[in-house]
Amino acid sequence: MELQPIFIQMLALLLFAIGLATALARRNVFFVLMGIELALNAVNLSFVGFAKTLPAAESVAGQIVPLFSIAVAAAEACVGLALVILIFRNRESVDSDNYSNMKG
Amino acid sequence: MLALIYFIILAVIAVGAACCVFLSKHPLYGGLSLVLTMLSLAGIYGLLGSPFIGVVQIMVYAGAIMMLLVFVISVLNAAKDNRTPMFDGTSIFVLIGVLGLAGLIGFALVLTPLGFDATTLRGSVEMTSSNLFDTAQTGPGYFVLFEVLGLLLLSSMGAAVLMAKKRLGSDASVEAASEEAIAEEKEEK
Repeated sequence: MELQPIFIQMLALLLFAIGLATALARRNVFFVLMGIELALNAVNLSFVGFAKTLPAAESVAGQIVPLFSIAVAAAEACVGLALVILIFRNRESVDSDNYSNMKG
Repeated sequence: MLALIYFIILAVIAVGAACCVFLSKHPLYGGLSLVLTMLSLAGIYGLLGSPFIGVVQIMVYAGAIMMLLVFVISVLNAAKDNRTPMFDGTSIFVLIGVLGLAGLIGFALVLTPLGFDATTLRGSVEMTSSNLFDTAQTGPGYFVLFEVLGLLLLSSMGAAVLMAKKRLGSDASVEAASEEAIAEEKEEK
């Protein structure tokens, strides 16, 4: 039995589900950021896995776009961590339920 | 066959480390588990024939982003409020929703016919650079996106510095401004 593309997609789906659950269910704000990073990683893996099922000319895009996705993730982590530092300085807490200034 | 064995080993490490992220109590352990997930994903990229993305994954994700995250966790000393519960009452509904979503997408994926194409290009440095910096009129135009990403990274860095700076627009700068105003008034007199 050889390596099949569906295995890669299943791994990406599993990682995305774990990342989404981490981002939505955990209360610590650092875990929310880590869950988002995990979900972004899974999407990159899915891109590359689908690119390998395409013929030569079409398989380029799926291997270039993850580079842009990684750069956007770097920008997102930069701004997100600055926000966390800002909120932590005001609230002295990493519990995202304490951040309900607007009672949302 | 050998590729499948390598893939299974790396996938088990990736999923196990991801479960560690989901279940660990201290954010530092979660961050280190996430680094392990990213390293094994880089191995899977190399296995699939995209070594450049794998190297970028190690350098940017595991090297830069996670280093920044672990550094901020250490600096903020977030371990001191460990009375916060890991999950709350709504988490069970979130888990049910995520499992339902994953089941639906998995069902759709299983029904899709997929197969590796033999003529697919290897994601080497030559292929990536020749496509990324193809400035021809008829080319894919990725270089414009590349410039836009440079601007995005620069603006996010500026935003992060402005946000995390201590006492922005408060006492220090207001006092400096008022002192300048007083000095100007004295000069006018």
